[in-house]
Amino acid sequence: MSLAKWTVGLLAGMSMLALAAPADAGEVRVTVAEYSAKTGPYFDEVKKEFEAANPGITVKFEVVPWDVLLQKLTTDITAGTNADLSIIGTRWLIDFVQQDVAEPLDSYITPDFKGRFIDTFLSPSIMNGKTYGLPIAASARAMYYNKELFEKAGIAKPPATWTELQEDARKIKAQGAFGFGLQGKEIETDVYYYYAMWSQGTEILNKDGTSGLGTPGALEAAKLYKSMIDEGLTQPGVTSNNREDVQNLFKQGKVGMMITAPFLSNQIKEEVPNLKYGVAAIPAGPTGARGTYGVTDSIIMFKNSKNKDEAWKLLDFLFTKEQRAKFTQGEGFLPVNKEEAKMDYYVNNADLAAFTALLPDARFAPVIPGWEEIAQITSDAMQKIYLGGDPEAGLKDAAAKANAVLKK
Amino acid sequence: MQNRLLPYLLTLPSLFLAAVVIFWPVWDLLQISTHDVSRFGQLRDFTGLANFWTLLDDPDFIAALWRTVLWTVLVVGGALLVSIPVAMILNMDFYGRGLARVIIMLPWAVSLTMTAVVWRWALNGESGMLNSALMKLGLISQNIQWLASAATAFPMQVLIGILVTVPFTTTIFLGGLSSIPDDLYEAAALEGATPLQQFREITFPLLKPFINIAIVLNTIYVFNSFPIIWVMTQGGPANSTDILVTHLYKLAFRIGKLGEASAVSVVMFVILLVFTMIYVRLAMREQRA
Repeated sequence: MSLAKWTVGLLAGMSMLALAAPADAGEVRVTVAEYSAKTGPYFDEVKKEFEAANPGITVKFEVVPWDVLLQKLTTDITAGTNADLSIIGTRWLIDFVQQDVAEPLDSYITPDFKGRFIDTFLSPSIMNGKTYGLPIAASARAMYYNKELFEKAGIAKPPATWTELQEDARKIKAQGAFGFGLQGKEIETDVYYYYAMWSQGTEILNKDGTSGLGTPGALEAAKLYKSMIDEGLTQPGVTSNNREDVQNLFKQGKVGMMITAPFLSNQIKEEVPNLKYGVAAIPAGPTGARGTYGVTDSIIMFKNSKNKDEAWKLLDFLFTKEQRAKFTQGEGFLPVNKEEAKMDYYVNNADLAAFTALLPDARFAPVIPGWEEIAQITSDAMQKIYLGGDPEAGLKDAAAKANAVLKK
Repeated sequence: MQNRLLPYLLTLPSLFLAAVVIFWPVWDLLQISTHDVSRFGQLRDFTGLANFWTLLDDPDFIAALWRTVLWTVLVVGGALLVSIPVAMILNMDFYGRGLARVIIMLPWAVSLTMTAVVWRWALNGESGMLNSALMKLGLISQNIQWLASAATAFPMQVLIGILVTVPFTTTIFLGGLSSIPDDLYEAAALEGATPLQQFREITFPLLKPFINIAIVLNTIYVFNSFPIIWVMTQGGPANSTDILVTHLYKLAFRIGKLGEASAVSVVMFVILLVFTMIYVRLAMREQRA
């Protein structure tokens, strides 16, 4: 039997299977990322409340761990079995738009609805003048420091520049702790390097669209981190520490300073409420430049959804002030809703204030195809440098690779 | 005539199942690997072998290929070396044999991913169990950062690979050993054969078919084994512990190059197919001779 016949036969079999699966009218399927242990229970609650308020519509949430979300979406879309709505990293959105799987939401969005959002967080989801996603989660990064270690080392206030940070790290090291927690493994290894790079006035992409990794500023930043590793100012074994590992060291009081997201405050409150810590701005470079990483995750509607109106109703519900507040506060994100941001919870919270103060300096991941590949190239280059490689050669090589991706 | 047709008829259902489960994905894979593919698997232009040539130009792929060979040889070889004596001991009659067997088999009952997760904790540089145990024993004076570089991470991954491969291999050998009749040993002992001679002249030759099976099956499993390396280092730092499967996963699901990832998959499939065919041929010829 020829392969072609096999294919036909199997296709017939598959389509019968596909027909057998009922497409429920009024059912909205949503793929959501599992941010923490609270994500699942929150969406269970949403299902109950929403279904009670909207008889005839049933909602099905598929809670997927972050690490495998993109993999699941890729396979689902390839097979045509994707949900109606899904949370995605906003940095992936360009792929979804280019492949024409995301539905523009402009026909549903009323000026009133749009007015609910803080513009900084909505704008990354807008492409070619169309809104393809709504920011369901927003976050930024700031520097956490251990007040007790600072006191012991005789440091009065958190460092304002990287030079001060190095000095403080030396003092903390003299106390037997690790000065600066440096992440060197897994997701956001590249971002941890950008904090130093941005403070040199270097951007991820130069003005002419080439990679910033080949610039003198990028080299300075890499040398800074490498010198800190060589001097023993960071925790040992940088390349075996992912974000959670460094956070754990911070919670154990072993690390003086680290840069991470607001959710660490929530974790500290639950796990080590006695830890005395503060949140401060990310240190600036010699010219006063500084940058933090802004991230949003968007919820998008798929073009092939059969229940778009019902799906929109759910979105409308999810983005009311009450729902937003419950979700954002549970997960430790930043408010994306203007009314929500005015709530006492946010206004009187010193930690969050430090994060929102940094928002003017926030950089979002550049909206270019192949971004994930460039991030991977950068992470790999940094790991080589952290392990003792030559910064100049490593960055030159990485810049060449990144430029090759950018040219495509 | 009817009798000749019968075997084919009887194998037809399982052949059909195999077709759906095996041939269909392989066919799909060939399609994707020879086309320009979108991030979500939609086929665009036919590009022939372009994806394969890109792989050959990629030093990371070549490095991962050699590391996969090393990984497979070390894990499969190590598991064999450990399993033969273990199986022989477990085959002896001694008090507590049941318990010993359970302990050896236990790693098999735990999912590979969980084993890898536990080891990742145990190998943590600052709060890992292994470092604190070595420290207490006075073997090291400073924490070892096991997973920080390939020089320590990869050997540990190989050791864990061996650990989880031993139960299955031991099971095969136990089956083999129990099929060797005791009177052979009795006769040999009467003739004055030493235990070493008994092993070389009786146990090993009779165990050979089982060793062959263990080599083929383990090679296929280990060559494709994903969780240990992925969970512990994700192939890092800087791709220095990548094997083909982890390289493939990153290509496909991190970077979205489904075409190249499928090409890696096809290469892996071909390597395993060729290995199995050559090995089975050699093993069978040996047995006939």
